Amino acid sequence: MGKKNRANRKTGVSKGRGAGNMDRRTFLRRSGLSLGGAAVAGMLPFSYMQKASAREKEKFTGQTDIEIRHTICTHCSVGCGVLAEVQNGVWIGQEPDFDSPFNLGSHCAKGASVRDHGLGDRRVKYPMKLVDGKWKRMSWDQAISEIGDKLLKIRDTSGPDAVFWCGSSKASNEGAYLQRKFAAFWGTNNCDHQARICHSTTVAGVANTWGYGAMTNSYNDMHNSKAMLFIGSNAAEAHPVAMQHVLRGKENGAVMIVVDPRFTRTAAHADQYVRLRPGTDVAFIWGLLWHIFKNGWEDKEYIRQRVYGMDEVRPEIEKWSPDVVTDVTGVPEEQVFQVAKTMADNRPGTIVWCMGGTQHHTGNNNTRAYCIFQLALGNIGVSGGGANIFRGHDNVQGATDIGPNSHTLPGYYGLTEGAWKHWARVWDVAYEWLKSRFDLSQQYDSGDGKPAYTMNIPGIPVSRWIDGVLENKTNLSQKDNFRAVFFQGHACNSQTRGPEMKQALEKLELVVISDPYPTHMAVMSDRKNDTYLLPTSTQFETYGSVTASNRSIQWREKVIEPLFESLPDHVILYKLAKKFGFADQMFKHIKINGEEPLIEDVLREVNRGTWTIGYTGQSPERIKLHTQHRGTFNTTTLKAEGGPLDGEYYGLPWPCWGPPEMKHPGTPLLYDPSLPVAQGGLTFRARFGVERDGVSLLADNSYSRGSDIKDGYPEFSADMLKQLGWWDDLTADEKIEAEGKNWKTDLSGGIQRVAIEHGCAPFGNAKARCVVWTFPDPVPLHREPLYTPRYDLVSRYPTYADRKSLWRLPNRYQSIQATDYSREFPIVFISGRLVEYEGGGEETRSNRWLAKLQPDMFAEINPKDANTAGIKDKDWVWLEGPEGGRIKVRAMVTRRVMPGVTWTPFHFGGWFQGKDLVDRYPEGTAPYVRGEACNTATTYGYDPVTQMQETKATLCRIQRA
Amino acid sequence: MARMKFLCDVERCIECNGCVTACNSEHDVPWGINRRRVVTFNDGEAGEKSISVACMHCTDAPCAAVCPVDCFYTTDDGIVLHDKDLCIGCGYCFYACPFGAPQYPQESAFGMRGKMDKCTFCAGGPPQDNSQAEFEQYGRNRIAEGKLPLCAEMCATKALLAGDGELISGIYRERVMKRDSRPDTWGWQKAYNFKS
Amino acid sequence: MTAPAIKGSFKVSEDWRPRAILLMLMIAMATLMISGWILHEGVFASDTPQIKTTNPRASFWRTVREGQAGVTTVQGRERTVLIQSGGENWRRVRNLFLARISPWLLGGVFFVILFFFFVHGPDKLKDAPSGETLNRWSLPHRLLHWYTALLFILMALTGLSMLFGRAVLIPVLGHHGFSGYLGMAIKIHNYGGPFFVAGLLIEILAWFKPNIPEKIDFDWFKSLGGMIGKGPRPHAGRINGGSKAWFWFTVLAGLIVGTTGLLMDFPEFGLSRGMFQVVHIIHAVIAVIFMTGSLGHIYLGSIGAEGTFESMWSGKVSAQWAEQHNDLWYAESMKAKPAQSEPAG
Repeated sequence: MGKKNRANRKTGVSKGRGAGNMDRRTFLRRSGLSLGGAAVAGMLPFSYMQKASAREKEKFTGQTDIEIRHTICTHCSVGCGVLAEVQNGVWIGQEPDFDSPFNLGSHCAKGASVRDHGLGDRRVKYPMKLVDGKWKRMSWDQAISEIGDKLLKIRDTSGPDAVFWCGSSKASNEGAYLQRKFAAFWGTNNCDHQARICHSTTVAGVANTWGYGAMTNSYNDMHNSKAMLFIGSNAAEAHPVAMQHVLRGKENGAVMIVVDPRFTRTAAHADQYVRLRPGTDVAFIWGLLWHIFKNGWEDKEYIRQRVYGMDEVRPEIEKWSPDVVTDVTGVPEEQVFQVAKTMADNRPGTIVWCMGGTQHHTGNNNTRAYCIFQLALGNIGVSGGGANIFRGHDNVQGATDIGPNSHTLPGYYGLTEGAWKHWARVWDVAYEWLKSRFDLSQQYDSGDGKPAYTMNIPGIPVSRWIDGVLENKTNLSQKDNFRAVFFQGHACNSQTRGPEMKQALEKLELVVISDPYPTHMAVMSDRKNDTYLLPTSTQFETYGSVTASNRSIQWREKVIEPLFESLPDHVILYKLAKKFGFADQMFKHIKINGEEPLIEDVLREVNRGTWTIGYTGQSPERIKLHTQHRGTFNTTTLKAEGGPLDGEYYGLPWPCWGPPEMKHPGTPLLYDPSLPVAQGGLTFRARFGVERDGVSLLADNSYSRGSDIKDGYPEFSADMLKQLGWWDDLTADEKIEAEGKNWKTDLSGGIQRVAIEHGCAPFGNAKARCVVWTFPDPVPLHREPLYTPRYDLVSRYPTYADRKSLWRLPNRYQSIQATDYSREFPIVFISGRLVEYEGGGEETRSNRWLAKLQPDMFAEINPKDANTAGIKDKDWVWLEGPEGGRIKVRAMVTRRVMPGVTWTPFHFGGWFQGKDLVDRYPEGTAPYVRGEACNTATTYGYDPVTQMQETKATLCRIQRA
Repeated sequence: MARMKFLCDVERCIECNGCVTACNSEHDVPWGINRRRVVTFNDGEAGEKSISVACMHCTDAPCAAVCPVDCFYTTDDGIVLHDKDLCIGCGYCFYACPFGAPQYPQESAFGMRGKMDKCTFCAGGPPQDNSQAEFEQYGRNRIAEGKLPLCAEMCATKALLAGDGELISGIYRERVMKRDSRPDTWGWQKAYNFKS
Repeated sequence: MTAPAIKGSFKVSEDWRPRAILLMLMIAMATLMISGWILHEGVFASDTPQIKTTNPRASFWRTVREGQAGVTTVQGRERTVLIQSGGENWRRVRNLFLARISPWLLGGVFFVILFFFFVHGPDKLKDAPSGETLNRWSLPHRLLHWYTALLFILMALTGLSMLFGRAVLIPVLGHHGFSGYLGMAIKIHNYGGPFFVAGLLIEILAWFKPNIPEKIDFDWFKSLGGMIGKGPRPHAGRINGGSKAWFWFTVLAGLIVGTTGLLMDFPEFGLSRGMFQVVHIIHAVIAVIFMTGSLGHIYLGSIGAEGTFESMWSGKVSAQWAEQHNDLWYAESMKAKPAQSEPAG
């Protein structure tokens, strides 16, 4: 080819495509300032850009068999759309999904690399069993048979509670729901998922404040914020594509404030940065409120109408004068004042928090403090405001809503008899039969000295499963210790106390890991036998729905068939259900194709039963339509403008009230009374009663637009309808079903329908409360972390008293804080995320494109501490915790952390206390990158309300290796 | 005729490495090579800024000027490409390039580097557009399909822009004007509470 | 022509007009300049807008532009540096200066030598050959010389191909043909380089002793060994002044070229881009000078001085050659030998 040829080479510039022909919405359009409209499109004509549909690819490449499948990234809760190009069943390429209103085609490193999951070099390829330390291949039938037999034997002698069924936040909604249902049919509440160690304190704290514990607004809504307060959130690394919306909000004029012990990559974009001692969130927030109340900046009208108990909080806030705040948090007064003033002057403002706020043994105090702050400013229930909780894994929201939680059945119904009866009806099984599946041999301490059956006691959660194995069984509120664990889609290196976890693993009689990858659990202990690996498909090899952090539900298409011999979660559960003999009952109304439960039927069952949070209107048909027409939704309001879904909100964010036929549009902003409920508006839930101490808990003269009741009202029930004279609005069929029921248990949906027709929210119209009288600290208090560097403050801000039985286990608090570890372990040890990896990290560290970016586990150390310890950048160091765990990592000397604080990522696994465990992996499955799990060195500490682990405030010491 | 350019809006770049990974995935780039990278200055400190860089497709490309075998060529829309069949792996382009765009599969004795690889603006190379041969040697050719480079299309925050230089500088100007004379992001003038 | 003297009027010389005009011009220019300066300083100075620093990030990006390193998660050599400006300088030095001048320099010297050969003629032996020969260089020495010389030629040709082959040979061979050739040439150059250095080092060891300069060598240069001027031939020992100069020139240039070449050849030395650019220019400049010098050596060793080629080819030289070029060595050798001066044949 001579020079001449090259000069004439085709460049892709249009030949005869015609000017002005642009139905492809390119990223450039999105990059411009006006969103979701033709404005920028009109300004910037690209005559040569076209939608490269599959058909056009034919034209160019001559390949006629490329299909485009649409799915959702499986990494975080932003819910980025993914367009997968599949040829002959092989995933060959990825295109940006410009039509998705959530990501507008964007991805972070993880989203851009999901195609590697479809190649899956390092996957577990077939069922395997550890025999005398060697992995032996077996068939599925063999595996299910052996595992089933062993589990049944354990059940016979120790009861169903002796098995821990750990489910996953990375399962689809249907998969997670079936995980919960499976545990129920097995007869235990000992199931759980990642939310426990993620936002469990958020859900508890927030739900107990105003009714639902989910993100109130959305990522997109942040375009409308005037101020954004990030506390304990590193969105630039944990939710990178959300930063697109954050930065747009900032460019629209929002002031961005980041509060974090570390100068994160998010802080680098902030207008104000506040460095705070780990574990002092409540003190800081009370410090802000001190200034707000002192200057009268609170929204008095809002408080009067919609908030209960603010006056009970004031005395506590009075204690937090500037010098006290500075002493405890380390933040100077001027900064605290400036943050308070900024948030007060720039409303509506939003607050964002993540693990930095939740992962403490007082996490529920932190989350409630954030809520109270926003209530004081009147920022809840308005666009641009809200409590924008960025959830973690891709479907942690869905799994929390309807999945394997140890403390509740799907839909937050709880574990009372009423809850079980409701679900028994939905599942169409006899309540007595369901009850008989549980251990009814005796009752146990349910936590406050009150006896109950384990059916009604929250199960041992994933943060405590090792205590379920190791704790003296007489101290347990169940028959026996865990003798077996089944981990489906959950890593173990994200839970604390690694050395004890190793002991627990070695004590168990049976360990089953159902995961696409072996995980740290397969190699971290010295187990030699009775450990099974079941190859499980990723969400790209199946289909189903997934709930993003903003409560929108999206539909995933299957991209490729399951790789190697892997099977999806729900197929594995079906096989086990069959083995255990309850498959017919469990899948009574779910069609089975071969051995695969029909996903749509599962979602329909969810629709039939989940009235509490409004998962009833999002039928498979509606969700599929939404995902199909996602390009018609406005990218700020998430409302469809024209098109077949005109007026609906993308993904029908819950609550989507009533049955699908009612066509509720979804609720984009929670608690927004400016819209009628029928159009997505809402009030605060009346969840805590009608009055307390003579004071009404219902809203005072605040109500939804178009509401027939122009005041507060309790939650709706059949009786209430009758009292209001609306009973006859129900149809005859609805009346039959609704009789004696309430808005949560009426399977016809009539009560909800009628309430909404009258402009009322089915769950009532109450005040949000600042005091949670059922919690250990009704008014949130600051308490020092169990392992604190400021031991002098412990006497003033001590932790709780030890509890004999809480969540079936003894819980230690004071007995740990009684010892001062700060001299021997002077550095505060915190951990967090890297953008390249996710969660336990097995999947992303096995991804060749991600692994090459972060090859080493490391610890960030401030130059001052490094110099004191004689450590240089990239040296190997030992990081030891006070409970004996130690990890060998590389030092990264940086000012990102302040003196006295060290930070590590938590995604690494495959090493244990200095030893690379590569040889313990089955052939060809060791991740490309392995390293110490930071949790090998972390410590005991659990929130009494949710058993959240205290990973964001513990201690350590560091020495050169 | 459009001249293709890259522009990374530093106010938006969050160092998420989405661009790096998108490129690696799209072109199946081998382990040792990274066509694009994100460089961060003042890492962990006041004024931290990140910028994504690959080949800048210079108008007067230094790589093309110093290549002993003249294997570079510039397409009609300003994309600088090279012919791997002609490349002798001498390394001169790497030494000339201000941005370090050229990459080599080896770094072995006697200066043997193998064939140079670099960002192609997703425009492939000399072989037939969208052919298998082109993909194997140069990666995908998105330009020939009427698309833009994947790194920019997938940028998490739309920091990285790629396309007709006039158009993208117009977008950038819009943003700059919208951001107005807003005070610099935190850290440029004041350092809060740094004890170290 | 002298103007007539006029009584009472001042006397001016006949060429007053040009001088006057010149003076007026100078005054005018000075006036312009001074007034310009006055106007600028006086009137406009206060109106000159002060350039405000509107972009406080300017100094930040300036340091980046100057090669400041950051951090990056991408592994590899110098990936943390965003911009290095040395490459542009290197390009200009290489392309605009080195690659452009070298062919002219080499070609020019070549033709000068050729011209000298045709005009001045080679250095002939003044005496007729008597058939008597002396052993000048034994086989090992000759092998060493030709080994190194051959490698030098290879290095030179391949090196020049890399420097400006593109301009000269692509029109002849086409892109693919030239790439094929240069692909092979660069391998020869990079692999062969260390072999050349080895040869050079052995040459240094083998020949430095006889090449140590003496007073007579400096005198030798006054008449360039008798090639210039009509005086008697200067004295020379085993190796004459000119050859010694060439030897040391080879040592110096060869070591520089060799060291720089080895640095570039092996990544173990960890050359950064900036260092490579400097090392490369040194390598190329010295190499071109080396080549230029070698043209003279090759000329003299082949057609430029009768009988010289034999010394390195067969290792023997005629007595006449020895007496003419290295008289002291000749005298010593004759003393050591028994008389063998029968004429051949």
